[in-house]
Amino acid sequence: MRKVVLPALLLFTVAPFAAARQPAPQILGLRLGMSYAQVHSRLVEIGQFKSEDEGQQVWTLTHDQRFQYAIIGFDRDRQVRYVTVLARPDGKPVSYADVGDIAHATRSGGPGNLRYTWKLSDKRARFDYLVIAKGKDAHHLDRYAIKRLGLETEREDRD
Amino acid sequence: MSRHTAGSVSLPTRFNLHPGIFFALVALCFATIMYAATPSSSTLNPVNGSSASWAGGGIAGATTDETTCVDGTDCDVYTITLTGSPANYKGLILAISISHQIKLNDYDLYVHKGDLTGPVIASSTAGIPETGEAVVIDPTVSGTGVYTVHVVDSNVAPGDPYSGVATITTPPTDSLAHGTAPTYANYQSPPGLGDSSGEPSIGANFNSGRIMTQAVFDTLQVTFNTNTSPATPTWLLKDGPNTSITTLDPILFTDSQTGRTVVSQLFGTTSLSAFTDNDGETYTVSQGGGIASGVDHQTVGGGPFRLCTADQLLATPVPCAQLAVRGPLTQYPHAVYYASQDIGDAAMALSQDGGLTYEEAHPMYTLVDCGGLHGHIKVSSSGIVYVPNKSCGGTQGLIVSMDNGLTFTVQPVTGSTTNSSDPSVGIGSKGRVYFGYVAGDGHPHITVSDDQGRSWHHDLDVGVPFSIRNTVFPEVVAGDNDRASFFFLGTPSAGDGTGADTGPTPFNGVWHGYIATTYNGGRTWFTVDTTPNDAVQLGVICTQGTTCPSGTRNLLDFNDLTVDKTGRVFAAYTDGCITAACIAKGNNSTASHTRLDNDQATKATIIRQSTGFGLFKSQDATPLKP
Repeated sequence: MRKVVLPALLLFTVAPFAAARQPAPQILGLRLGMSYAQVHSRLVEIGQFKSEDEGQQVWTLTHDQRFQYAIIGFDRDRQVRYVTVLARPDGKPVSYADVGDIAHATRSGGPGNLRYTWKLSDKRARFDYLVIAKGKDAHHLDRYAIKRLGLETEREDRD
Repeated sequence: MSRHTAGSVSLPTRFNLHPGIFFALVALCFATIMYAATPSSSTLNPVNGSSASWAGGGIAGATTDETTCVDGTDCDVYTITLTGSPANYKGLILAISISHQIKLNDYDLYVHKGDLTGPVIASSTAGIPETGEAVVIDPTVSGTGVYTVHVVDSNVAPGDPYSGVATITTPPTDSLAHGTAPTYANYQSPPGLGDSSGEPSIGANFNSGRIMTQAVFDTLQVTFNTNTSPATPTWLLKDGPNTSITTLDPILFTDSQTGRTVVSQLFGTTSLSAFTDNDGETYTVSQGGGIASGVDHQTVGGGPFRLCTADQLLATPVPCAQLAVRGPLTQYPHAVYYASQDIGDAAMALSQDGGLTYEEAHPMYTLVDCGGLHGHIKVSSSGIVYVPNKSCGGTQGLIVSMDNGLTFTVQPVTGSTTNSSDPSVGIGSKGRVYFGYVAGDGHPHITVSDDQGRSWHHDLDVGVPFSIRNTVFPEVVAGDNDRASFFFLGTPSAGDGTGADTGPTPFNGVWHGYIATTYNGGRTWFTVDTTPNDAVQLGVICTQGTTCPSGTRNLLDFNDLTVDKTGRVFAAYTDGCITAACIAKGNNSTASHTRLDNDQATKATIIRQSTGFGLFKSQDATPLKP
């Protein structure tokens, strides 16, 4: 059993950074559209709860060599609306190209403030999503985020 | 052997300097030696009367604030060492003063704990006319050891050196504000204008003398006819071409000095924005913001770019050149900033062309550092950018940029506690930061920093005169460095006045608008009920965002406060209680005051200071008229 779970988990974790030329709507197994319960069961495996603000949660990642924190935002149905991970300052660097094919990304900003954005569709789950990799460095990202599009956010019904 | 290019001097550090700059630097070194205080230090003991004096270095020059002076050129240093332990100073204080002869010269006094990199624990920064500055320090609070006195030329002509005195003495016993408190009048927008006006912003155009305000869909130009007393207002609808169609968050910012007003509406994942240089007669549609998908509480602000003075350019040419890259690109002289949050962080974008286009936003902080939402941008006269936040690691926080929005530091507001309303900052003319916030116990607090948020002092509960127990929407504006006003809605009713109000007994409370004003740098405040006979709201004011039940959040999330060129203070607020029946209940102490008694209205209203000193001392000779 353990022999099956470990490789599967490894694949789950590494996949978005390794061969994926088109970034998936998940980071570290935290997938857009996941239910609150599902994402929490994954989060307790990989980190510790740190704080919550306006329905957004910050988790400290306890084992990941690349990322230090995960921030998760939820929609009104308590499904994952976005996931952002922040790189460890002294961790294993992640290049923009590790996220996806940067030839297919929109590049904005400039030296010291780079941003690559992929706008993609999850055909199976039928939603569009953004993948954003940002950083001060020309090659390695500081933060990496996925965000579901087409949702009415908590703001859009406010006034 | 290296070749020396004509016109330059090669230094071993591989810097090439123009000979003029080189010799100026040499001269600066001599100046530092020549213009140090004499003597340069003293030691005081915990004995009443222990004293020392010194002579200033004869420095002269002009600076914007302490961050723009160069020691030995336009500021100098004197060091005081207190012996013993803090407990030895019980019942004693350290009093430091400087004096000079000519009233039109303006010295400022800052005292750091430790060396110049330590926190500013006291300062005195009055403007002309003045012939002295003074501070008192309580060593039982701030400790013994080294204090560094930094005397800065705000504007000093040669030939008027200062002298300084430091004395251990007994503390003053009077902590009450003296003089006459300001008074205020309320002006409700006429029927049909500002009827749906949650989250108002307000600005004053110093060039035209007009007031601009925006809330939800309406952008209003307000002109007060001061030929009559009380003044009569004229309200005109001046909507931007793209900011009256839809709204998620409205914001208006007026740069008082340039007269430019920027209006902005959040719309889904974009920001619609335009600006006007003639108070809404014509607009130019702009890019909107520098964040592709900022989803909430966008804020627009602006002011002078941070650029080096001539003295700083000589002293530190490399960082000055880096700063200059982020300076103005067009004839418009000031910076405009746009900030918002999305997917776990908050970011700010600089516009170098007056708000027409913005750069790619730079991250200010992440949710690891602070809560997501933030208050509104303020910019100091020396170009330092401030954004307040209600929760950064367990206290209120202040996000600071010293390089025109390129990098940011999160400064905790030490001694504060968190709450649900966004805090606000006002920046005095010489850089003093006034941070108004709602404390964890619901009381309105304001605290002061003289070192860009690195340390805080004079944290006071300004609601004490009215026993305020619940507060929302703190808004601050400053004028002269020693003068500031703090507007908030408050009620003396205890209980959860800002919650969802879902309990069996609705919250019972009458909310009024209050303005607290200081004329002495935050040491004392006059607090005035500006709506004494007309409640702003009955019952709860929910500050839990979109989770608030219907009927509890008609006032939305903030109000605003500004000052005109005469120093007169104006506040914009949303009035939730406007009918005769609601107002009468608010004035009847035995009546019910729950949300069920409230109008749930959203009427645009302006508070205008009627009498009293304004926020500019230079205008004191012309008393304000109603």
